[in-house]
Amino acid sequence: MSARRGFSWSHLLLHIVLLTVGVIFLLPFVWSISTSLKPMSDLFQVKPSLIPSEIRWQNYRDVFDSVPFLRFYFNSVVVTIARTIGQVALASVAAFAFSQLRFPGRDLLFFILLAGLMVPDQVLIVPRFVLMREFGWLDTYQGLIIPLIFSSFGVFMLRQFMLGIPRDFFEAAMLEGANPFQIFRDIYLPLAAPALAAFGFLALLASWNEFLWALTVTSSTDMRVLPVGIALFQGQFFTNTAVLLAAANLATFPLLIVFLFFQKRLVEGIALTGLK
Amino acid sequence: MTETSSSLPIAVTTHQPNARFGRRAREAAWGYLLIAPVMTGFAIFFLIALGASLYLSFTKWDMLTSPVFVGLDNYRTVLHDHEFRTALLNTVAITVPHIVLRLICALALAIALNSNIRFRAFYRILFFLPVLTMPVAIATIWKWLYDPAFGPINSFLRGIGVDNPPEWLSQPRSATVAVVIVLLWSGIGYDMVIYLAGLQAIPRDFYEAASLDGAGGWQRFRDITLPLLTPTIFFLSVIGVIYSLQVFDLVYVMTKIDQTNKLPTVVYYIYDEGFRNFRMGYAITVAWVLLGMILIFTIIQFRFQRRWVFYG
Repeated sequence: MSARRGFSWSHLLLHIVLLTVGVIFLLPFVWSISTSLKPMSDLFQVKPSLIPSEIRWQNYRDVFDSVPFLRFYFNSVVVTIARTIGQVALASVAAFAFSQLRFPGRDLLFFILLAGLMVPDQVLIVPRFVLMREFGWLDTYQGLIIPLIFSSFGVFMLRQFMLGIPRDFFEAAMLEGANPFQIFRDIYLPLAAPALAAFGFLALLASWNEFLWALTVTSSTDMRVLPVGIALFQGQFFTNTAVLLAAANLATFPLLIVFLFFQKRLVEGIALTGLK
Repeated sequence: MTETSSSLPIAVTTHQPNARFGRRAREAAWGYLLIAPVMTGFAIFFLIALGASLYLSFTKWDMLTSPVFVGLDNYRTVLHDHEFRTALLNTVAITVPHIVLRLICALALAIALNSNIRFRAFYRILFFLPVLTMPVAIATIWKWLYDPAFGPINSFLRGIGVDNPPEWLSQPRSATVAVVIVLLWSGIGYDMVIYLAGLQAIPRDFYEAASLDGAGGWQRFRDITLPLLTPTIFFLSVIGVIYSLQVFDLVYVMTKIDQTNKLPTVVYYIYDEGFRNFRMGYAITVAWVLLGMILIFTIIQFRFQRRWVFYG
């Protein structure tokens, strides 16, 4: 708009504003890293400094000694992978049926599924807890995983995407004698790859960060996932703030790094979900 | 899938005289088969759970003995429940400034990044990072930043001459401000990305035509950008309110200090009543009241959209 020449005052001003906001956005991360490396004596300064007086890597080792952090990590990884695969698989196959196949009651069933998006989890959490108790799934991986692999949102998002794929593909493959599942697997799944990747990442993120259900359905220390472990043991076993922040960083940074690799596609995918 | 299962629905068709009808029946059978997994899970963990939940909201139940039907008692209790009212006021006090400020700040950032400025991608990642960060970790980090004695925020405030900086998370009023700031920090990036997609959908010609007519930057914003973005703003405010009324982990971890919760929200209250005081029936009733509020808010927003949302 105003940048016909190489330099413009308005852009310089804009950069100053954006950089200032950017620094404010980044500062909590930076402060968290710096604090996690500080020795205890640095923590109780009335004028805290960003730079630790000495780098204490031991804080990261102490995380694993304070609580069964490795176990939390393992639980989080298992639960997240299982939920993500489950959600993507079940939602994509249903989205294909809802978008391409014709069957009586299709639109009504889809509408009922969508209505589920409006109900907050809190309404369902107690009956789900009771169901888990009846199934004998309290404090188990099944209990953590299975209730959360059915994603109405995923069906909705992937259906919107697949509606954009012409039904001609489907008709042609049917004439060739393929069955609908083969058509889904060989034609629609590859075509929907961008939407699957975007939804998969959203599912991964939501699952990794999920707190309320994991808090409710597990009770033993060995079955806790990262967010629950970090939340519950604050001030109890994590008495040193530097160690606590080291734990928070360990829980957060792997996902941020994954994001940096795929960010362009992922941000576009998220924008896609918001508009449809 | 193996050959055997793929031939299963075909059995319906083999003896049909009318081939078209057979094809349709086969397609329908496949349709039901493919949605069956999701629909089964949905029926168990949603429909049955929802029905049970509605019933339990009319009962008194400690989870150990059987539920006792008490009619509307729980709903009557909610109306006069002082603690619920506090939790509700806290939730609204967080939601309103959170949504308003978030919509405005995110729009400003999105417009700035929609120009042909350099390092756009870099800024976009920067503002988006908190969206990806685990809420419990965010709360843990900010709790330390807000520490009244040793945190960097108050150290900074004292440095610029504020003699009595706020106690932040340990006082309900300053805790509300503190929580809103963190929610803004962690949510603006999401709104910004959605806004950017909306902005990119506005045809360039509109701006060029307006410029030829002599419209300035502010006029272009007011007469083109803003009206064409109203559907996006509407979408973001609807989902923002729904999300904000349900906020739990972030606020819970931040405001639980010395084993007491300084800023209980509605969802915290539900959890506390149910799983700690074992008043399950009542906890569920509060959850239904929350659902009712979410629906009312959403309906109001949809009602008012006709007045300001522009669908071109």
